[in-house]
Amino acid sequence: MRKMLLTLTAMILATIFAGSVMAKTTYKVAWSHYTGWEPWAQTEQAGTLKKWGDKYGITIELSPPMDYMESINLYTAGNYDACVMTNMDALTVPASGGKDSTVVIVGDYSDGNDAIVSYSGTSVADLRGRDIFGVELSVSHYLVARALAMNGMSEADLGAFVNTSDSEIAGLFVANRTPQTTVVTWNPIVMKIRQERGAKVLFTSAQIPGEILDLLVVRTDAPEELKKALTGAWYETMAVMSGKGAPTKEALTFMAKTAGGTLAEFEAQLKTTYMYYTPKAAVEFTASATLAKTMEFVRTFCFDKGMFGPTAKSKDEVGIELPDGSVMGDKRNVKLRFTTKYMQMAADGKL
Amino acid sequence: MSAAREENHVIYCLDMVKAYGANVVLDDIDFKVSRGEFVTVVGPSGCGKSTMLRLILGQERHTSGTMLIDGREIYHPDVTRGIVFQRYSLFPHLTAMENVMIGKLFTATCLELLGSMETSRDEAMYYLKKVGLEDDAKKKPHQLSGGQQQRVAIAQALIMKPEILMMDEPYGALDPYTREDLQMFILEVWEETGMTIFFVTHDLEEAVFLGSRVVAFSQYYSDGRHGLKHGARIVSDYDLGRSIKSTEVKKSPAFSDLIHRIRHESFEPKFCQSVKAFNQTHPDSFMTLTEEQGAVAAEVVESI
Amino acid sequence: MRFFDNKNVNQQMPQKEAQMQMLKWIWSVGVNVLSRIWNTVKTFFSLHYCPSRVAKVLLAIVPFVLLLGTYIHFSNKRHEENPRDKILPTISQMYEQVKIYVVETDKRTDKNLFVDDTLASLKRLLIGVSIASVLSLIWGLSMGIYPWVRSTWMPFVTFVSIIPPLAILPIIFIGLGVEELGKISLIVLGITFLMTRDLKIAVENIPREQIVKALTLGASSWAIVYRIIFPQVMPRFIEMIRVYLSPAWLFLIAAEAIASKNGLAYRIFLSRRYLNMSLIIPIVFWITSIGFLMNFILKKILDWKYRWYVDIKNG
Repeated sequence: MRKMLLTLTAMILATIFAGSVMAKTTYKVAWSHYTGWEPWAQTEQAGTLKKWGDKYGITIELSPPMDYMESINLYTAGNYDACVMTNMDALTVPASGGKDSTVVIVGDYSDGNDAIVSYSGTSVADLRGRDIFGVELSVSHYLVARALAMNGMSEADLGAFVNTSDSEIAGLFVANRTPQTTVVTWNPIVMKIRQERGAKVLFTSAQIPGEILDLLVVRTDAPEELKKALTGAWYETMAVMSGKGAPTKEALTFMAKTAGGTLAEFEAQLKTTYMYYTPKAAVEFTASATLAKTMEFVRTFCFDKGMFGPTAKSKDEVGIELPDGSVMGDKRNVKLRFTTKYMQMAADGKL
Repeated sequence: MSAAREENHVIYCLDMVKAYGANVVLDDIDFKVSRGEFVTVVGPSGCGKSTMLRLILGQERHTSGTMLIDGREIYHPDVTRGIVFQRYSLFPHLTAMENVMIGKLFTATCLELLGSMETSRDEAMYYLKKVGLEDDAKKKPHQLSGGQQQRVAIAQALIMKPEILMMDEPYGALDPYTREDLQMFILEVWEETGMTIFFVTHDLEEAVFLGSRVVAFSQYYSDGRHGLKHGARIVSDYDLGRSIKSTEVKKSPAFSDLIHRIRHESFEPKFCQSVKAFNQTHPDSFMTLTEEQGAVAAEVVESI
Repeated sequence: MRFFDNKNVNQQMPQKEAQMQMLKWIWSVGVNVLSRIWNTVKTFFSLHYCPSRVAKVLLAIVPFVLLLGTYIHFSNKRHEENPRDKILPTISQMYEQVKIYVVETDKRTDKNLFVDDTLASLKRLLIGVSIASVLSLIWGLSMGIYPWVRSTWMPFVTFVSIIPPLAILPIIFIGLGVEELGKISLIVLGITFLMTRDLKIAVENIPREQIVKALTLGASSWAIVYRIIFPQVMPRFIEMIRVYLSPAWLFLIAAEAIASKNGLAYRIFLSRRYLNMSLIIPIVFWITSIGFLMNFILKKILDWKYRWYVDIKNG
């Protein structure tokens, strides 16, 4: 009896021990629907993610498509190891929340995906006194602020910025056909509403190229394996996407379906999304001086809006490390790190 | 019978039937009540005594036959017939005084309302005094005891000086002492006002003690219609005289004998007397039977 | 004590025996105390326990203290790992944020945001609930009283009251706009039908005897409505408002989340854009306090104006 118990205990212990050795560590990646992020669905579907995970001896688990803000919040809370987001939200949510985050991939910038649309007017100057419907404190809001600044105006020249859920913007624009109705939003909503009779596009992100960036952010203390595997998987998919043959078409069709539209719609959206299909192009952009200039605009906007929290004394509150190692803002509180390291490895084929 | 001859009868029913669909509750009722009578109505559960009350009240309409109140057909409850229920007679959101007064306000015209508020108040106070509750005028019903509530309800009905005061098991929820107290009280009111009272109760002793006339309804009788479910009829009808009795009466053997008899005639399912044999000793009681009913009934009597 | 002294002094017991006695005494006292404690504990957890006033207050505080304690514990834990944590802000972080929100004037709009938000939300809520109240009162009373109104509207109201308003939100906003009208309409649509249905039931629950009695007292139809039915339905109606204030808040929050430029829920959803829990938590607390206060005021009105109803209900 005693012997049997002992054997049993030994067996159980052995199983647990063996299990812990054999099981690969699982890392979780959160994502949400957006033209520039649909490729993540493709990396999973095509098994690319698994392949690269296996290569680095880890398991990468892609979340189901989530609500955008919720995915960032959960990443910040520590429930995910990586998450897709814009440069602005990376700064105001995880970084200003003390979550040290590294931008592993700069995937694309919005090249017309975000736009200010109205039923009347020809230029930003016509926005004077109007109410604008859009998601407040989002990249849409940033777009409006930049548009106004470029035209020598400020938000004080507007009526009100009416915080509107992105799910209601299209319906609202269609239902209120008054000349004054003005919305600011992103794709695929922009695509839909600009087709409305009389809709006029007053300003788009194509006029501020390289400022609204779509990134893959990984927690800085995550192991190199995760960062490398994700980068590897991403650029393998990018290569497929930018190709010409049947696999490209197949991949694009799948992504269009995931995004909830037709292939034609998805291709139209890709036209207003400046994708860095090659790691080389991404490295070039990330290492350029444009990035520093952009992040300066962004952090100024965020600080002005109080998005760094009540205790923030200046826009230097959160340190942003640039690829050359220089730091914008507080050097002792670097929480957002841009790096070309992994994209460079991809470009060099060293992954 | 002509209506003229019935002028003295406050309630007059001839061949009256009340049915709910196929379910006949009251079957061919012949019934008349003289002015100033204190009618107590008894009968087993489901015998239709409360239905009878609702018909007289005007809350429901009879199905066929004749029913006249004061020689008139009636369609709705109105001020000529006051009512005291076992519960819910008083309006819970009004004080005792307001409850008594409200009938006066309902019936006053706009002009009168302006002028006669004080008069109404005085009149209500008069009735509250009469029921011995002048000190509780400002209390809401829930602050009064069950007996006090029924006193207010009686005052509330009396102020309208109705032709008939209807009472539907008014003392059913009271303790024996309060009940006797209120029995004496209603007798005093009856003596003083001389009004007609139609008093439904399930308590035989109460019925025999209070009534100048005791009417028993019952569905337990036989008119030869074997197997057919028929409605209730008046199976006995006693004249007890209009003199006021003292509570001592309750102890007399005659009193308990009568109770015993009514219980036997009306409440016992096994005792199915023939329509012909109904004990209707009250001078106002009458029964019209169709020839067929009469014939069948006679047969039944013989067979017994 | 006496027991021990007597034996010791009078009978001059040997040392050892005295010690034994003392031990016995201590033992019996110990057992006594323990059994008393045990009985107290046993009573406390039984259904016979009658808490005193003080005990009631103390017991009521316990869950709040537990909640606060749990929060502070996890907040501290997160801040040890990351001093800038935004998810469970410390009390002082919230204090800083609240100070700015409540005291400072917004540069752009030149308004005190706290006052502005509170008034905007309260205005929407109160107007919405008021309109819903008046509509349901008229409608519910008519349905309770007039058979033709009941027959015409009851199936419709029953059917429509089941539609979840949040599911058809886009229709409401597209049809009525996202301005104040749309927001108030959402509250109105959200609670009117339910309140109407409940009011009709409240009218039907007035005993038939009351109506018959009023008729025998010479009341006209109109007098029955406004002297008998209306005053008796009023207290139930106030209770109903107490109940439906919660869904009204829910619809207000949903409305402000969709499109708004001010309001307490607007502020919450705006703060969510940068995970500013140090403002969200105090606002949630503030909304809860307002709701609690409204509930309290309605209860007081009921106690004060409709004492008879409260008394009857409490037996």
